[in-house]
Amino acid sequence: MNTIKPDDNIAEILKTDPNKGFSLVVEKYSSRLYWHIRRLVIIHEDADDALQNTFINAWKSMGDFRNESSLYTWLYTIATNEALALINKRKRNAAVSIDDLGSHFANSREGSTWFDGDEAQVKLQNAILKLPEKQRIVFNLKYFDEMPYEEMSKVTSTSEGALKASYHHAVKKIEKLLGGD
Amino acid sequence: MNKLNEIPDKNPFKVPENYFKEVNRKIISATSGYENEIRKIGFYNRFKPYFLVAASVTGFVILSYVAVTILSPGKKPMQVSEVINEENPELYLNDIDIFTLEENVASMVLSQEESEVSKADIVDYLLQDNIEISDIYEKL
Repeated sequence: MNTIKPDDNIAEILKTDPNKGFSLVVEKYSSRLYWHIRRLVIIHEDADDALQNTFINAWKSMGDFRNESSLYTWLYTIATNEALALINKRKRNAAVSIDDLGSHFANSREGSTWFDGDEAQVKLQNAILKLPEKQRIVFNLKYFDEMPYEEMSKVTSTSEGALKASYHHAVKKIEKLLGGD
Repeated sequence: MNKLNEIPDKNPFKVPENYFKEVNRKIISATSGYENEIRKIGFYNRFKPYFLVAASVTGFVILSYVAVTILSPGKKPMQVSEVINEENPELYLNDIDIFTLEENVASMVLSQEESEVSKADIVDYLLQDNIEISDIYEKL
């Protein structure tokens, strides 16, 4: 996957025609943001809610968006916060906690509908689920979205050095978990 | 062996058909009713800090005046009637309508007459008891 570069043209349209500009933003970024959220919250319905909340909050606080920062990293920050809020809400409700992807999908209708990974994919997702929250975000952004550390630093408000260390630890843990089978 | 590299780079998650088209339409439709922050900056929002400062100063002045008035020792606050009598007695008379004034004056005259009649009655009564008139007037 290639990263999306900041789009100055959209930023200009947002200033002159906010509705049109926002439609372009939604069309351009909804898919990427959805997959980022989905990898964190796992369940499609949750990802759908978080994605819609992300864009509604982005629209409501469009005044906070500054041109010097990338629209793309700003949206990722909102999406990450929405996903984390949903995960924390789910943690408070132990009935819907997801610790093991295989057993969750095996026992739910969603398993056969919205997940078609093979055994290796399930193992990888289970290993990612076992990572601490911050490492999960860093691993997903680097491994799946191939986001540069510089942009990741803006999204997570963490130094690049700390992010590199976090990714390194995450990879080691995942490989250990995968190799332990 | 690097286990992570052996896993095929394939997205295992799926979404409903036409999901992104639908969700984009839903988001755009949901936000079209909202005024965003760029447009919401009106007169009040622009001058909000100044309004807040002005309200704070006004509140402080009122509270200070009330505190000084209540807490300062010495002069007891005058009653309204005292203020009227002392500062401008005409104000009081001007504020009373003519009918009320006539009623008050009539009642005062009546009470004076009643008082004189009763004094005459007393004199008559005492004279009947053979008391000297000079003594009676001396006592009254």
